[in-house]
Amino acid sequence: MTTPALSISHLRKVYRSGTVAVDDLSLEIQPGDFFGFLGPNGAGKSTTIHCVTGIATVTSGTIKVYGVDAVKDYREARKLVGLSPQQFNVDQFATPYQIVDWMGGYFGMNAAERKARTEMLIERFGLKEHAKKRFRELSGGLMRRVILARALVHDPKLLILDEPTAGVDVELRRDLWRYLQELNRDGKTILLTSHYLEEVERLCRTIAIINGGKIVQHGPKNEFFTEPGGLEAAYLRATGAEADHVAAQ
Amino acid sequence: MNINWVGLWTIIRREIARLWRVPVQAFLAPWISALLFIFIFGYVVGGRIALIGGHKYLEFVLPGIVMLNVVNAAFLQSTSQVYFSRFLRYVEETLVSPLSYAEMIAGILIVVIIRAVVTAIGILILAALFGASSVDGIGEFLFWIVAVSAVFGLLGNIVGLWANNFEQLTILNVFLITPLSFVGGVFNTIKMLPPYLRWMAWGNPFFYFINGLRHSMIGFTEAPEGLGMAVTLGLVVVMFAIVLRLYSIGYGLRE
Repeated sequence: MTTPALSISHLRKVYRSGTVAVDDLSLEIQPGDFFGFLGPNGAGKSTTIHCVTGIATVTSGTIKVYGVDAVKDYREARKLVGLSPQQFNVDQFATPYQIVDWMGGYFGMNAAERKARTEMLIERFGLKEHAKKRFRELSGGLMRRVILARALVHDPKLLILDEPTAGVDVELRRDLWRYLQELNRDGKTILLTSHYLEEVERLCRTIAIINGGKIVQHGPKNEFFTEPGGLEAAYLRATGAEADHVAAQ
Repeated sequence: MNINWVGLWTIIRREIARLWRVPVQAFLAPWISALLFIFIFGYVVGGRIALIGGHKYLEFVLPGIVMLNVVNAAFLQSTSQVYFSRFLRYVEETLVSPLSYAEMIAGILIVVIIRAVVTAIGILILAALFGASSVDGIGEFLFWIVAVSAVFGLLGNIVGLWANNFEQLTILNVFLITPLSFVGGVFNTIKMLPPYLRWMAWGNPFFYFINGLRHSMIGFTEAPEGLGMAVTLGLVVVMFAIVLRLYSIGYGLRE
């Protein structure tokens, strides 16, 4: 049996305020999958991702990345994951080159590896002419590209993208879609959260919908298209938004 | 245990790059402040004060001035590194990477020590202009600069993790560090204190820091050297353990 790229078992995350952000969440993502993680704002998507990547502590449950425990053996697990977070969590005064290069350094890449990889990603994301500018001087779209380049610098096996196309123009969005499909074809496992259902529909093969910290629907993409209305109808139904909408009418 | 040397070196590179963005604040400000202290207390006022233990007042007061600035440099460097990485959230870059907590803390401390040593050397050069920059024991001098900057680097780390606004960053400096350092023997010997206050010096760690540095520079001491070193090393070990524990539970770092 293949080891899942990501295996989350009975994950529970309670914040200090007492808010239960994730409640008994279990899911598996198979190697090579393009996995869409959907849910309304505050549903627990980002919290789940933060627990996987170490930004948040885990209240209970287990998380394994390619079989490596992300809490007990966190250093090994981290090597396998690249994260493009929703928020721009960078030193705003650093340059795009520094941001990508430093990330490679944290992952233990030597100078030659970092240089080659950073230059390739700077080129690939159209950042060459902006490489020496301060991050804070860049437009929103360029900032997003830097964050994506940073997530890829150590060539992770599992790439986690938390709303990677939020606030970017159509051109970049489509270019990014092509690039992600290439990466996925080359074997990289991708977990994508997005509020653009079209994006998830186009890219993902497996989808999970989370609401109130729990998985409410999970399965291959085609299972979400068995009834009229496609993914949007399934999403609204799963999150209870459809019922609310009907009640309001 | 595998050490992520490249990761550690990257934290150092990042923080030195940050330091280079504010050279006036990081280095010029303490050097100007030290120059004023040296000129007023050491040269102008000190010229009218009798020898202390066979040393001119400027020579006596200089180790205290160096120590004041080392403490400030270490504390400010550490609090700003930790607090700003939280405030701008780029601490998450290190949290998602395969760095151990000890490596994260060590990276911060090494830059703290670099800043403190550069600050101290700059003050010695300025003091040389006034004919007072002798260092009797270079090894002992370095021990005190490195050990004390480590103590305040670790203390600053705790404050940087705890603080939730800019004002909280300065509270400890205003209410603890500055008062204790001033009564710790920067400008005077213990014997100059009123007898009923002398006991307080022995419970004030700044007294040991300043006394130790003074011994390394001019050979003057009021306390056993071994006791001061033991107190200081003890503080380094205890505070490192506290900071390591805070990192491992994610205090102030992880949601």
